[in-house]
Amino acid sequence: MTQEVNLGERRDKMEYTHITPRPLITVDEEACGNAILCLKCVKACLEAGPNVIGFMNSEPPPVGENAPQRLEDIPHKIIFSGMVNCNGCGKCIEACPKGALTLQMPEPQVPAARVQHADIVFCGTLRDGTKVFPRD
Amino acid sequence: MCRYCVEYGGGTKWYLNPDNYRDELYTAEVHEPTTRMLGGVLKNTFEAGAMSNVDFMAPDLYYSGNLSMALEQVTAHGGQIVPLEDALKIIDLCHGPFLLAHCACRRYFGRKDVIRCMYFWPTVETALKERPWEKDSRVISKKEAKELEREFEKKGFLHSIWHAGVNFDGIPPIVICHCTATDCIPTKFRLSYGVMNGQRKGEYVSMVDPVKCREGCKDYPVCMQRCQFGAMRYSPADRILYIDPQACFGCGLCRAACPHGAIKLVDRLSFPSLVDTW
Repeated sequence: MTQEVNLGERRDKMEYTHITPRPLITVDEEACGNAILCLKCVKACLEAGPNVIGFMNSEPPPVGENAPQRLEDIPHKIIFSGMVNCNGCGKCIEACPKGALTLQMPEPQVPAARVQHADIVFCGTLRDGTKVFPRD
Repeated sequence: MCRYCVEYGGGTKWYLNPDNYRDELYTAEVHEPTTRMLGGVLKNTFEAGAMSNVDFMAPDLYYSGNLSMALEQVTAHGGQIVPLEDALKIIDLCHGPFLLAHCACRRYFGRKDVIRCMYFWPTVETALKERPWEKDSRVISKKEAKELEREFEKKGFLHSIWHAGVNFDGIPPIVICHCTATDCIPTKFRLSYGVMNGQRKGEYVSMVDPVKCREGCKDYPVCMQRCQFGAMRYSPADRILYIDPQACFGCGLCRAACPHGAIKLVDRLSFPSLVDTW
């Protein structure tokens, strides 16, 4: 199995032959609506332990006169992060009153036979200031 | 820090180099986007956006080098653990005043708000102007900032310094956070995904004085609960505590908790094997 990660010029280096299995949770953003008014899945995941569900604004809010005065006035969506800590307990699915979440468990697979360790650059800036991996 | 930062940190700790606090650095090409985002309306998009992608960017957990590099280059943001004495020096090096804001990492993941992040001057005005919904933020003086540092040390919160990008012109520090390894998103990435540039280890490691330790707490080592990185091992046979230098982040919280003065911080490079462990 190979997963390509789109990172510009470094794409050729970013092909992974092994993918560490972890659950995948997806959210139907339309059904979810403005997440900040609910956050039941976030609370459920926190109480269950893994704490991998969070929220972020869908779009950066406006600046100036129309700037929102309360956090609740900003449209938010649900995000999933650090899924290696998810054990797939399903408490978030149960907690969602709108049925907007789906949980997909990974296929069982054999452990990685070979681990890639080549080509590690820790910060990507060389001595002369050249970026090995330039910013867009 | 590691080789690059030692060279550009003037041969010393980068966050103690006054050159890195120059005004023009915060508006330089590489550092400006991060400074602007963290100080402005894009803060949530910047922080939560980076973390929402981490699982797609690290398919193979044993191969985190590229994720580490991407984090540095895409977000131009990373941090390092500092002990109390260095945190106080950093506050002296900064302009005042500071913006004391709620901990965003905790809020994004549903935990209760704590007011614990201190932003440096380039972000104070824009943050107050562009994020009017954050009514819990307040501006504090250097003196108040130092008092808070000492208070957080007693309570057992890590001090960490965060920069706005590593570049040949410098590494401008932008915020000092007081958090725990269970809440801080970059620290979680470091511990779960091995992402070095999320949170780097401090310039020090802890060392135990075996004699003082043996005569001290005996069965109830109070320092152990302060360690957030699992670097302490207690031997019930010897009734003494050991510190694993490879796992220690050098935060100094165990030292603050020790009632017998048995723990001290030494320079990380006193252990030759730690030269590349950051």
